[in-house]
Amino acid sequence: MGLTDKNNEIIDQQGPGFLTTSVDKLVNWARTGSMWPVTLGLACCGIEMMHSAAARYDTDRFGVFYRPSPRQSDVMIVAGTLVNKMAPALRRIYDQMAEPKWVISMGSCANGGGYYHHSYSVVRGCDQIIPVDIYVPGCPPTAEALINGIIELQKKIKAEESITNG
Amino acid sequence: MDKNSNIDIINNKLSDFNVAFLDNEHNLILQIDQADFINVCKILKTDSDLDYSMLIDVCAVDYLTYGEADWTTNDATNSGYSRAVKQTIIPEADETFTDRFVVFYQLLSISYNKRLTLKVFTTESNPPSVPSINKIWNSANWFEREAFDLMGIHFKGHPDLRRILTDYGFIGHPFRKDFPTNGNLEVVYDEEEERVIYQPVSISTRPSVPKVIRDKNDRK
Repeated sequence: MGLTDKNNEIIDQQGPGFLTTSVDKLVNWARTGSMWPVTLGLACCGIEMMHSAAARYDTDRFGVFYRPSPRQSDVMIVAGTLVNKMAPALRRIYDQMAEPKWVISMGSCANGGGYYHHSYSVVRGCDQIIPVDIYVPGCPPTAEALINGIIELQKKIKAEESITNG
Repeated sequence: MDKNSNIDIINNKLSDFNVAFLDNEHNLILQIDQADFINVCKILKTDSDLDYSMLIDVCAVDYLTYGEADWTTNDATNSGYSRAVKQTIIPEADETFTDRFVVFYQLLSISYNKRLTLKVFTTESNPPSVPSINKIWNSANWFEREAFDLMGIHFKGHPDLRRILTDYGFIGHPFRKDFPTNGNLEVVYDEEEERVIYQPVSISTRPSVPKVIRDKNDRK
């Protein structure tokens, strides 16, 4: 009797999905530990993105390791001004990425057109073309700001419950 | 070799043609009739006393709104600029005026360390055209494509005159003064069609307020 009561207590505390939530945590740990971004430096933000990946800031510490192919990538970092001519290509690259996938919009131009908001040739925010998870402000954002955005995205992924709810 | 002797040499070599030097403190500007343009360019490049072997840049200028009042800044501190906000409309009669577009060429003589600017008016306004100098200076190829793309200047005799910078299927020439700053089309992703589509531009223009406050018009 006492034993069953104890088990019920554990289930009451942990919720009914004890096993599935644990699997969720394991899956999210794996996903946040190796977010491979597709290299998409469109303008000067791309330079800061390179800084974040190079020796001083070294995003490889977080398992963030740039890939030349969208098919090997989990994250798209839109770093720079997205122009009308590039928009269909950007969407195609996004569509080629395997699920699950996330998008970080880096800098004013990618967030909402920025300096070129009233231009005839610039998309007013890359969220007109693809869904965005994290917006990193700045013109350009520092490498630290981008790393902060990556950590925020990790937090967001950790809060996902893909096994429990899916 | 000072500036005046350089002028004398060029005048001497080009005495057969209708050319004129424009007053400029810093560099030489040579205005050329379009009929003489190709021949003058050949002499400027091949003559051993001139030897302008390098074409640095080609650019076009639109004089449509040159000197108009909305470019003055005296009252702009209070009102903001209206430039490029109101769409400029060309009057019908003015479509033929020939002084609208000018093409400038920047030349460099490496052996004499001299620079020269050429100024050529386009023939007609619709479409404005000048002869291509691609056969004389090869670097003109992409410069002329750029001027065609952004200003709509037709370079007669260019081997491959197509757009170089703007979007595929772009309509209009964005650096012209009568082109709206916001453009005509914008791109969005269409969820139903699952592709990027074009739609009419959704934002409107606004006057830009200058950050510089001139001495004469302190806050009134």
